[in-house]
Amino acid sequence: MPLLEAEDVHRTYRLGRTEVPVLKGASIGVRPGEWVAILGSSGSGKSTLLHLLGGLDRPDAGAVRFRGESISRFSPRRLDRYRNEHVGFVFQFYHLLPELNVLENTMIPAMVGVGRLEWLRRRGEIRERARALLDRFGLSHRVRHRPAELSGGERQRVAIARALMHRPDVLMADEPTGNLDAKTGEAILETLAEQHRAGLTIVMVTHDQWIAARADRIVHLVDGRVA
Amino acid sequence: MAVHTQLLVRRYLTTRIIPLIAVAAVALCTALVIIVVSVMSGFLENLRNSGRTLMGDVVLSRPVQGIPWYGELVRDLEALPGAQAASPLVDTYGLVRMPYPDGPSKDVVTAQVWAIDPESFARVTDFDRTIWWKPAASREDALAMGEDDPRRSIGDGPLNEARAMRDLATGRPGALLGMHVSVANQRQRDGSYRPRVANWWMPRHEVSVTLVPISERGTVSQSNSRTFKVVNEVMSGVFQVDRNRVFIPLKDGQELLRLDEAPVVDTDAEPDADGNYPVVGTSPARATQVLVRARPGTTADELKEQVEKAYEQFWLRASADPARRTKPPAPESVSIMTWNERLRDLIGPVEKERQMMMILFSITGLVCAGLILAIFWAIVAEKTRDIGILRATGAGRGGVMAIFLRYGLAIGVAGALIGTGLAWAVVRNINDIHHALGERAPTWAWAGTFLLAAFAAAGAVRALVRASALGTLLWSVGALALAGVGAGLMLHQGFLMWDPAVYYFATIPSTMDWAAARVIGAGAVVCSVLGAAVPAARAADIDPVRALRYE
Repeated sequence: MPLLEAEDVHRTYRLGRTEVPVLKGASIGVRPGEWVAILGSSGSGKSTLLHLLGGLDRPDAGAVRFRGESISRFSPRRLDRYRNEHVGFVFQFYHLLPELNVLENTMIPAMVGVGRLEWLRRRGEIRERARALLDRFGLSHRVRHRPAELSGGERQRVAIARALMHRPDVLMADEPTGNLDAKTGEAILETLAEQHRAGLTIVMVTHDQWIAARADRIVHLVDGRVA
Repeated sequence: MAVHTQLLVRRYLTTRIIPLIAVAAVALCTALVIIVVSVMSGFLENLRNSGRTLMGDVVLSRPVQGIPWYGELVRDLEALPGAQAASPLVDTYGLVRMPYPDGPSKDVVTAQVWAIDPESFARVTDFDRTIWWKPAASREDALAMGEDDPRRSIGDGPLNEARAMRDLATGRPGALLGMHVSVANQRQRDGSYRPRVANWWMPRHEVSVTLVPISERGTVSQSNSRTFKVVNEVMSGVFQVDRNRVFIPLKDGQELLRLDEAPVVDTDAEPDADGNYPVVGTSPARATQVLVRARPGTTADELKEQVEKAYEQFWLRASADPARRTKPPAPESVSIMTWNERLRDLIGPVEKERQMMMILFSITGLVCAGLILAIFWAIVAEKTRDIGILRATGAGRGGVMAIFLRYGLAIGVAGALIGTGLAWAVVRNINDIHHALGERAPTWAWAGTFLLAAFAAAGAVRALVRASALGTLLWSVGALALAGVGAGLMLHQGFLMWDPAVYYFATIPSTMDWAAARVIGAGAVVCSVLGAAVPAARAADIDPVRALRYE
């Protein structure tokens, strides 16, 4: 059974009076431990599909299932919990919180997911997990720095550490190397590959076939449908 | 509440300048309202205290004709369970001929004349405290007096004479004048008084008091005058009293107004060989007011009830006594009021004014709310992407809204606390500030300000050379503002904002109204949260997908 699947999903965006259909019945399944790349040109709907799989958005029609359960029917609160506990996002532009330092940015999913009492009880363990991730990605000397003081590659590694903080079932990466030079991008891809080898399920969106070739399977998205 | 909310609010507060502007705005609005309300509350409190300290708790009054057998009435009143002391007096208006200027022609002033029994009057009011020319009661008081304060060198003589209302050397009756009745005294910055000219220390001189008796039928009789030695002066703090009131001994006042004990003659009978009509009785002495002080634990209203019953008993008893030709006035002819009721015409409008001030100035709370709304609207727009990130990591809409509500709360609390502190500093020192405004600015103040303006101008030039538009603007505005302040200080001649003749008291009330401050501070916090509410709701409604596309 797929870990995560989208079945005949449709999504249309409304911009004022204009309706823009982005997905027109796309279907995709992701097995546990698989690295799937969604490849398509700009405007093909690949980021939208990623957002639907990650619970950031709901389809207008069709269903998205996680372990056989339809997340499209989740209440808003349950959907928030799904994103916090089962999904980790990595974006093209890193999307780190500028006022927080590297360690705090990494711990954000844990801070969001626990209440005050649990934080008091587990903060040592949470800090340790964050430090371990940052150390694994070569950032232990940067924990007190703010995102503005980091290079692009360092920021993306912080974003990956943040995405892995809660040990998600699936890592959603939207053009993770799109804002990096080739060498740095390659380093990021190697980081993702390392996590994949350790058993992490990855869904990656890209418009670059060479980057997509790193994945176990490539899904082509053309005009809102899987080709 | 999730931990990330607290962390983000703390960071937003400490890493940006805009929240500091918001905090400053809330602080200033809060301080403004607290200062105004505190001064008005202090004014109201002073009015209430002045009433009680000047006239006791309950006043029985029958002007002009007065109340006979008042000695018996005073004994009845002092026997009441709620009464501590009672004192009779005669109050009227008269002319006071001052001892100045030099030469045959002297100044004459109108005054409210109170003829009192000083011993009982001191038990009912704070008369003793208001006597001004007396030695310091303690070492601390002595040290607080200026070196040229006459009170440093006088003995107990003026105080003893004031308490006796008599020149103890000659036995002649003495008068006490309100501190501002004569023009001989000059108020010092520390609130003390000095004679303008050394020779014109009033207790060395005499005044002549002229009163006009009015008969029971309402006809005006020949005026009577008497000379009194000025034994002391009084300073109650209530300008209207210190400006107009003169105290003389009760017996002298009664004699001058023909309210003293006198024989009653039968003018219908045949006069004797000397032409005197036969005496058929004695008309008792009268007092136009009796002041009563309540025992601790008894309110003025409770005492008033007891006094009303006591007067009725007194009237019934005296009226039924066939030996008394003169009957006391019926209860309905005697006014019995608490001090609060006596001052109602003054206190009532001030209470209303205070409420109105509090309401009007609380509109500044709406200004705060509007300012916070505008600032937070901009912050939410700026933080759109951050909101998307938080939603992507699992934060709910409630959590996002909580961040901005808590942010607004933090600004409100910080602003309220700072504003309360600022208000306390201003209110505590308000009289010093008022004095400073009343004097010319010292040279160093305006010269120093111009110097700072010159530095700011140099900074503006440097910023201009470096092609920094913001730097040039800020330094230029600073230079202009400082130059304006310097010019203002240089031209400032001093002005009197608090005129005691208008505002009833000699000093501006300088006590914080902490009860009002708590309400006002809480209001500022509520307004800040309300101002943040709309942007917070907007933040919660932001679509995370669109937010993450926001670059």
